Amino acid sequence: MPFIQNTDAERREMLAAIGVKSIDDLFADVPANLRINMADASRLKLPKGQGELEVTRHIEGLLAKTKNAGDYAFFRGGGIYNHFVSTVVDHIALFDSSFITAYTPYQPECSQGTLTFIFEFQSSICALTGLEVANASMYDGASALAEAMMMGKHVAEDKWRKEERNTFVLAGAHNPEYEQVVRTYADVAGLKVVNVPAGADGRIDQDALKKALTRKVFAVAAQSPNYLGVIEDLDAVNAARKESEALFVHCTTEPMSLALLQTPGEAGADIAVGEGQPLGNHQFLGGPAFGYFAARKEHLRKMPGRIVSETVDKNGKRAFALALATREQHIRREKATSNICTNQSLCALRALIHLAAWGKNGFVELAEHTVAKTQYAIKKLGAVDGVKLVYPNSPVFNEFVIQAAPGLEKKLLKKKILGGLPLDKYGKGRKGQYLVAITEVTTKAQIDAYAAALAEALKGKAVASAK
Amino acid sequence: MTTTTIANPADALLFETSVEGRRCLRLPELDVPKVDLKQALKGAKLRQKPANLPEVGELDLVRHFKNLAQKNFSVDRNFYPLGSCTMKYNPKINVTLLAQPGFTRAHPHLPLADLQGHIELMVNLEGYLREVSGLPAVTLQPAAGAQGEMTGLMVIKAYFEEKGEGKTRTEIVIPDSAHGTNPATAALAGFKTVTLKGKPDGSVDLDLLKSLVGPQTAGMMITNPSTLGLLEPNMVEIAKILHGVGAQLYMDGANMNAIQGIVRPGDYGVDVMHYNLHKTYSVPHGAGGPGAGPIAVAAHLEPYLPVPRPVRNEDGTFSLDYKRKKSIGKVRSFFGNYGALVMAYIYMTQLGREGVRRNAENAVLNANYLRVKLRNEFKVFTDRVCAHEVVFTDAIQAKNDIHALDVAKRLIDYNIHPMTIYFPQANVTNGEGAMMVEPTETESKQTLDFFIEVMKKIAQETRENPALLKEAPHNMPVVRLDEVRASTQPQLYCPMCMS
Repeated sequence: MPFIQNTDAERREMLAAIGVKSIDDLFADVPANLRINMADASRLKLPKGQGELEVTRHIEGLLAKTKNAGDYAFFRGGGIYNHFVSTVVDHIALFDSSFITAYTPYQPECSQGTLTFIFEFQSSICALTGLEVANASMYDGASALAEAMMMGKHVAEDKWRKEERNTFVLAGAHNPEYEQVVRTYADVAGLKVVNVPAGADGRIDQDALKKALTRKVFAVAAQSPNYLGVIEDLDAVNAARKESEALFVHCTTEPMSLALLQTPGEAGADIAVGEGQPLGNHQFLGGPAFGYFAARKEHLRKMPGRIVSETVDKNGKRAFALALATREQHIRREKATSNICTNQSLCALRALIHLAAWGKNGFVELAEHTVAKTQYAIKKLGAVDGVKLVYPNSPVFNEFVIQAAPGLEKKLLKKKILGGLPLDKYGKGRKGQYLVAITEVTTKAQIDAYAAALAEALKGKAVASAK
Repeated sequence: MTTTTIANPADALLFETSVEGRRCLRLPELDVPKVDLKQALKGAKLRQKPANLPEVGELDLVRHFKNLAQKNFSVDRNFYPLGSCTMKYNPKINVTLLAQPGFTRAHPHLPLADLQGHIELMVNLEGYLREVSGLPAVTLQPAAGAQGEMTGLMVIKAYFEEKGEGKTRTEIVIPDSAHGTNPATAALAGFKTVTLKGKPDGSVDLDLLKSLVGPQTAGMMITNPSTLGLLEPNMVEIAKILHGVGAQLYMDGANMNAIQGIVRPGDYGVDVMHYNLHKTYSVPHGAGGPGAGPIAVAAHLEPYLPVPRPVRNEDGTFSLDYKRKKSIGKVRSFFGNYGALVMAYIYMTQLGREGVRRNAENAVLNANYLRVKLRNEFKVFTDRVCAHEVVFTDAIQAKNDIHALDVAKRLIDYNIHPMTIYFPQANVTNGEGAMMVEPTETESKQTLDFFIEVMKKIAQETRENPALLKEAPHNMPVVRLDEVRASTQPQLYCPMCMS
């Protein structure tokens, strides 16, 4: 039997020690009429088990019916990015079983490896965000934003006991996956989610934001760079929320941008969340990776998720341990700020290795290369007849929106180019718009090929106008 | 030389060994024109100084983590009977197959034609989980068991809202022995928790349950087998009581390892359940995650499942269905923890029909073997046939002032990862310190016999030399941490990271 080591003889010996005749006797609490009779093939209709060779063939067969980012000149992002992942990351986090086959560090003496790397991970997130406290990670960027909303509500309940603050504002263009998750959480929690649209420049419409920030609002979230690739004016968001005193949540799907851009801490944010995939995690159709979650120190006791602290052992030696568990579900039960039980440790470990492997200067260079390649792509694609930049005067980091013609995907695919993500489903008036993503993996030759293929595909077509 | 006082740099934090200018990875030469940042970013504000990340070379980076690896117990090196966590062996093929570019570079925004094999895998895995649950629909989206619980309650809520009972059905009944996520989830989903005191053996008191439910009840969350490691004998009656007042029965599938292939929760009358694929189906626990928490639901709840739904079309192609008006929406971005789903799928494909059943049988056999072999030395909380885990308490050892914590720490000296302690909580175990042992089916009789011998030795040490336990562990880099200080004077980052 696969993965079971005991022989039939050993099983008989064990049954005798227990004092029962058969394995069936161990399941006497299951009503006999409900117990699955293995001779009855109509129940538990699972295929016959396969050995390692067969399952390898089967998986290879499934993968033959797929293509991946490596098969194309690849220009898609929209929340998950086609980055280079160093072999060092996989060797430590995937193939060395010391971390991957351990569990939550409940017993710190035999879990210092895990506790230490989580502490180092938290430190890295603090360094990136400029905020003083970070947790050990959440499921993904989207649920981290939803948890930030829930935490904001808990902070508000303490801070404004007499006010009914029930509204969460999503300012500007948020990733639609994030918005959907936030709305799902808000629905059951009885919270209201209000969108403030992006203006003609792709940035938050500041007038609309000021109007939306009433004293009903407990927190406002801004994604930057936003879903349209545009870097938001965070100082303006911070100023706008001052009067209502709403908490300020910073969110990003590309934390590499934090290598260069004003940090959430500098911008006055209370909470910073985002997707961790771009930090050393594989794409895997969007998961597993992790959501990072950081906040100002004053909010520490409302923060969801696991937290590791430095402490000492009984001999005074430095050691690391889980801390502040009284916030969490296993102690507070229905009074907990969140139901989250685990974190995404292994994905956080990957981020830590990634950040350390690039290092202080390398991480900045990585972001600088991305900016240079993005600027080159903007220039090249923008110069194609029939292509217009949708937000030509707004700052962007790694993504930007072009206006071309609808239905270009197939023509580009023939040249092994997967062009930008069509935005027609994102909103009205976006027909023919594409969100183009660049990473350090993108080459000049690929950008040139994309521009040439676009030019060919658009030959003779009039420029569709952006609405 | 027995001890050394010279600090090994491999023991320091990465931030502490950082040296200005040291590098590990290098970028290729920039193949496009260099840009002026301020100009390129059109005046967007830049951070004042670079994030102070560690600067290390590849060898020291690798050595740092290999050194940390040695400070961790893990399933591959240690017997790890951590109750309620199902720390079974994780076959190597899981990660080997997952590490292929077809998975690692699978971007969620690839065209549908490029995702066919992935969607097929999801559809197949949903099928496996449907069969094991006996319920007709599954979603793979929840990222963890706790998120599965939340998704399940959201689905129940949406169902009642459509029936016009959303405002009135506000309560969820939860046994006092439940895992903390159950009441926390109920609260998060906007329900009021009604605590059901369990019978002394942890089973449900049917009369008490009847007295607590009514038109205000949305459902009950039950863990079966219970957190005391016992199969609930009255599942069918419980389902009838709930359905009798129009409420739903949610089963926490944390302990599915004991009943997979033995009985299908759907046949009990369960309406919703979640799986923990990292427990039952061998997704590595990853030092705390990632896992995956799919849910299975009865037909009347299927319309409310999250989007997208992977679909097998009549022509044999696969697609993603987003057009589902009654769906609760999304609980996680894209498709959930797909990489974890792939590993569970590989594992279940290897198990097959016989293997699924055999896992449960052997998990339960192993746990009962430990129960009978150790019951003279350690009190079994409810000494009857158990499921996949057995709950001992420290009642006998307490006479020598030795408690569950001390037993746990002493196990570390024998290179065994401690069992789960103090869960179920003291209010359930009459104040005795619980020691929950879950061996899993993948352990051999030799390992179980080794554990039995060690535990008997510890029982003897408790009587003869309790100080040995109080001072344990003896061979680890750190001993008996000041965990109070970690919470009262938290130091949550390395000061250098903020400089």
